Amino acid sequence: MTEKKSNSVWGASRLLVVALLVIIVVLGLALVVQAIGNAGKPSEVGRVNALANSRDACVECHRQATPGIVDQYGHSSMAGADVICGDCHEVASGYPGSEDHEGANILKSPTTAMCQKCHQQEVAQFAHSRHGIPAYVAFAGSKDLSPELMAQFEAVPEGNFDPNKARNAIFALEGPEITRFACESCHSIGKPAADGSVGQCQKCHLRHEFSLEQARKPETCNNCHIGPDHPQWEIYQESAHGIAYATLGYTWNWDAEPGTLTPNDFPAATCAICHMSGFGGTATTHDVGDRLTWFLAAQVSTRRPAWQDNMVRMQSVCLECHNKEFIDDFYAAADRGVEAVNARVQEADQIIQPLKDQGLLTAAPFDEPIDFIYFENWHHWGRTAKFGMWMQGADYTQWHGAYEMLSDLADLRKLTKEKLQAAEQVQVPAIPPTPTTTP
Amino acid sequence: MYYLAEILPGVRRLRIPLSRDQVMLLMTAFNEYMLAVEIYLAHSISGTIVPYEWIPIIFGPIAGTILILAGLLALRNRPLAMWLAIPTFLSSIVVGLLGAYFHISRALLVFAPAGQRTSISLTIWAPPILAPLTFALVGVLGLSAIWVESPVDSGALILFGGRRLQLPYSKSHGYFLWVSMAMLATLISSVLDHARTNFSNPWLWVPTAAGILGVVVSLGIGLIDKPNRGDIWVYFVSMVVIIVVAVTGSVLHILSNLTVENTIVGERFIRGAPILAPLLYADIAGLGLAVLLDPDETPRAREYLKP
Repeated sequence: MTEKKSNSVWGASRLLVVALLVIIVVLGLALVVQAIGNAGKPSEVGRVNALANSRDACVECHRQATPGIVDQYGHSSMAGADVICGDCHEVASGYPGSEDHEGANILKSPTTAMCQKCHQQEVAQFAHSRHGIPAYVAFAGSKDLSPELMAQFEAVPEGNFDPNKARNAIFALEGPEITRFACESCHSIGKPAADGSVGQCQKCHLRHEFSLEQARKPETCNNCHIGPDHPQWEIYQESAHGIAYATLGYTWNWDAEPGTLTPNDFPAATCAICHMSGFGGTATTHDVGDRLTWFLAAQVSTRRPAWQDNMVRMQSVCLECHNKEFIDDFYAAADRGVEAVNARVQEADQIIQPLKDQGLLTAAPFDEPIDFIYFENWHHWGRTAKFGMWMQGADYTQWHGAYEMLSDLADLRKLTKEKLQAAEQVQVPAIPPTPTTTP
Repeated sequence: MYYLAEILPGVRRLRIPLSRDQVMLLMTAFNEYMLAVEIYLAHSISGTIVPYEWIPIIFGPIAGTILILAGLLALRNRPLAMWLAIPTFLSSIVVGLLGAYFHISRALLVFAPAGQRTSISLTIWAPPILAPLTFALVGVLGLSAIWVESPVDSGALILFGGRRLQLPYSKSHGYFLWVSMAMLATLISSVLDHARTNFSNPWLWVPTAAGILGVVVSLGIGLIDKPNRGDIWVYFVSMVVIIVVAVTGSVLHILSNLTVENTIVGERFIRGAPILAPLLYADIAGLGLAVLLDPDETPRAREYLKP
């Protein structure tokens, strides 16, 4: 009897094990079938409002105060990853730039120091780029930088190249009422914050959805890289890459995992593919100068430090679609093009040199027509011609670039001649030369 | 039953220096290390490893080292070694379950509207929900291997102080069932990973088929009371096939991460096809083959088994 009972218990426990295993296996295989059925569909984070029923104090209050922001953030991948408002906005009491807000101490606009808590590498690369402090110095100058920020500025290739070129003269002339909506709007991407960190990630990663697709699309760069001084957006639209984007971009894999992109995801280049994305043999970077060979934005372009390394990285991107011979030929031709534009810019210097020698130019910047023509020759048309070459925008190299330079050089010759003649006529009565500077 | 000798009688003449349980325990130590490496790579994807993501990365090498020390100690003092290993295996189970909780919680949008809080798509795009359970499976395997079964194939484990624990299945059958569960976890992880690519590459069906084969065969042999030679051959060949598929998969993952210039870019290996993931199949199948070794532990545990 005892033996029989023992066997019974033994058999029952075996049955239980079998039942549990069968349940697990059937459910597991059902999950496998479901996963195969849902294969390839994008993540639903973004379509689902992850904060719809949130009881978070910030969410509850701002659902009334700023519902748009809460709704956007609810659809973000960060909300899907349980990043709450306080993770980016809340700081310790006394934190530089913070303020008291409904019993919490917050940063109205989170600084890169906050982004760095999770995105350390990205922030470090950004801080070492033209988008970092050099962007700010371009309008604000460097004289007010702290020693730490100055050191950081000088560590960036653009900082070393052009420490304090005083292109900010226009900024001073226009005044804060205008520049608030002009220079500062773009160049504040590299503005130092009160906590000592530099820059604003949200200039490209728009609040509060922080969409990968939005950050990757060239329209995001169009926010600033547009207009006569750096018409990269217009040039891109004219290029074969831009045409591919305009016509077929809607089929591209905009949410592909960063660092794994291939021509299958992006059959043609975008701004991000060439300058930032991990593509081909090049790793992802937030240093937008990391793959560039020239200081194209400079008055007279020179090679960047370690430009050969940068070129290898950029060409690794190109090689995903183009052959080496094509790329080498293109680089050689574009290099010669840059040098030709340099020659035109230097020609402008030679034209006005007699005016400088004779003190016939005013000391004040941008106070007479010749200043504007001289400036536009390199700052608008010279740059445009160079950008057009490298980004395959023929019309911009030609009619908005080289042609305008020819026109400006002719104007410069004319104005210089007139000024010299005027100076000679003034000197005829053998009286001391009249100062030509305007008040 | 010495299953391997049933199909390959020649192996009886081989002098294998380790017992089956020792092989299993050595594999658990190896797995603790390898899991830490795999998890370090996986957690590096986001660029920054947050504090609780370090738990398994730190735990793995510590656990592996303790288990190796315990293995060496077991040659002289088996009970003391067991006292070292048991908490380690229990911790491994806790770490695995904790990780599974963290991963599964990412597939849940708890504050989303009802009906949208979870979905298969969220599961596919969340961190791999079953991957952390490999730590738990290693813990369970270790706890199974550490106790001597006497007599062999009886399902009776000898606990401390000579106490006996009668299990519904023999240790060999328990191992087979463990292999089927581990194979199932690997299959699900593989399918969820490959679902992100829409199974666009037809080769991705191969690991899916291999995983199903592994689950069914190991579950089947685990439930058959006395498998015959044909059953053992099918199991043996299946495990070998899975190892071949796994190694091939790892090579294909490496190739997929190389660029057209065959350049090695770190982030492509971290964020692209994980090169260690296919080897999990090989790992489980390897353990599956180890089950076929001689189960008799008594010659090495005489002191421990003394009444």
